[in-house]
Amino acid sequence: MIAREERVPRSLRRFAVPIGIALLAYVILVPLTSTDTAQQAGLPLLADKLWFRIATTVAMFVVMASAWNIIGGLTGYASFGNVAFFGLGAYTVGVLVSSRGWPFPLALILAPVTASLFALIVGIPLLRLRGHYFAVATLGIGVAVGELVNNLGPLGASTGLFLPIVRSDLLFFYLMLVAAAVAVLSTWLILRTRFGYGLLAIRENEEAAKIIGVNTNLYKVAAFCIAAALTGLAGGIFAQWNSFINQENVFAISDNVQMILMAVVGGAGTVLGPVAGAISLELIIQTLAGGGSKAVYSQIGLGVLLAVCVIFIPRGVIDFFGGQSRLSLQYLRQTLRETSA
Amino acid sequence: MSQFTQQVILGLLLGGVYVAVALGFSLVWGILNIVNLAHGALVIVGSYITWDLFTRWHIDPFLSLPIDALVLFVIGYALQRGVINRVIRAPLLFTFLLTFGINLIIVSLLLLIFTADFRSVTPSYSGNGLHLGSVTIPYIRFGGLVVAFLLAGALWAILNRTRIGAAILAVGADRDAAQLVGIDLRHMYALTFGIGAAFAGVAGGIISTFQSITPTAGDPYTLQAFAVVILGGLGRVSATVLGGLTFGLIEILGQSAPGLGSGYANAIAFVVLVIVLVVRPRGLLGRLA
Repeated sequence: MIAREERVPRSLRRFAVPIGIALLAYVILVPLTSTDTAQQAGLPLLADKLWFRIATTVAMFVVMASAWNIIGGLTGYASFGNVAFFGLGAYTVGVLVSSRGWPFPLALILAPVTASLFALIVGIPLLRLRGHYFAVATLGIGVAVGELVNNLGPLGASTGLFLPIVRSDLLFFYLMLVAAAVAVLSTWLILRTRFGYGLLAIRENEEAAKIIGVNTNLYKVAAFCIAAALTGLAGGIFAQWNSFINQENVFAISDNVQMILMAVVGGAGTVLGPVAGAISLELIIQTLAGGGSKAVYSQIGLGVLLAVCVIFIPRGVIDFFGGQSRLSLQYLRQTLRETSA
Repeated sequence: MSQFTQQVILGLLLGGVYVAVALGFSLVWGILNIVNLAHGALVIVGSYITWDLFTRWHIDPFLSLPIDALVLFVIGYALQRGVINRVIRAPLLFTFLLTFGINLIIVSLLLLIFTADFRSVTPSYSGNGLHLGSVTIPYIRFGGLVVAFLLAGALWAILNRTRIGAAILAVGADRDAAQLVGIDLRHMYALTFGIGAAFAGVAGGIISTFQSITPTAGDPYTLQAFAVVILGGLGRVSATVLGGLTFGLIEILGQSAPGLGSGYANAIAFVVLVIVLVVRPRGLLGRLA
């Protein structure tokens, strides 16, 4: 799967690098031209508020899709509960800033710590499960943690938490961009280490990986914690950026499905796949949402998009999951046997 | 003490609802190996049909259950035949994502048609109940429990006493062998999913009699159906019945524990789920080793 990048024709690659650099330069520099100071200096305005919001959201989903990719794509454990880490990161920042009066940067450092601690606690029992069982158990985490937060008074219960508003689109855009860079870089680094090879081995055949000496439990939990830390970081930034968090906006299961879809459509198990998936899908979703006024239609759009992607382009993404596609009682038996191990 | 008896009775009654919800889910999972994330949405479609018939033509909710079943059977058959069949051999992540997508679409359509207002079905006898000393059994909930047992019996009879049931079980056991002996797989898949959806519809009809419904009210039921199937074990009607009743008891008794409340239904479900998965992955009665 990593080898796929090398299959791109040389001529295309020659164009890809400068285009990529140009895009990156645009993304990093254009925001600078839209601030008030730039306006006063008479520089042309190249982007507006909405652009910031969308770009920041895209960067946020790049973080989440890349983080999901580490546990779902590289390790082969399809987690449907990563959104719990996002929510925990957001609530860490939310509680520390709004109730304890901590400065935002200090609180932000703790967001990934809380998320990965939680991943450590739930990961040890849950990563023994596989297939449907792991998927739904993690789905349960997302729902249950959200519900817990919704019921706890100190966490604002169902009212949610309000943070002091920080008016700086630039700051949050760059923060998310840095988080996205960290996420992509982490994936790239992991794939070049012994740890990364261990994760790929677990994905391909966990028993065989164990036999050749991979400490599978440690590796899986570590991958889960790294994914959680990155997702928690994004959540922490989101909390201050949005300045209001509640169960609905930080524990949304549909966010979790979106990050999976982005990683899968872009190419799970690759470094840049989740990035491509996040950018293209988020832009489509934003377009469907029409600026966020018609939430229902964007939900229908997402549903149709899911169906279309799954039905019509599974060949492009299916091969990584490989030979597990024969669904029979035999397979069920095997899954059950594996989960009881 | 009577407080406790009342709780146990309420737990069993709630368990009956979970049995009804989980039967179809369990069938689809066991035979098609699809964890149907749209199951809760199908349940709520049933609720809305019952509500619509009740408010429009004053049809008693229990009388509209066969209509729920029929409509949902058609929807389920079409969904499987037209959409889900296309990924039936794909890895689980794909059926997962697909059924989630279907769930989103159904919920959004319900939102467009019926809006997000709370809807409830209130027949004349909805407040009445049987009083046995200090213990009360609401008629409606009791009716739900009876229907749940009828459903379980019907599913058992379909699977074990009819040719179609034999064919469904054959598909579940080995689809290639089933095809070799002349079973039309596409039709059988669709039929299985249709039956699962029909059961979901009836469960939805029952639910509408005691709970206000909204388009998103079905989502918790998907997770709870999963928990019930895990708890009981996959592959047997009796396991689903036992799992459902146990789960209802756990939820009611759990909610009455100090410090907890009805807001924790999903959290309790999840904790039970994880404990069972880790301690006894085959469920209480699971026969698949």
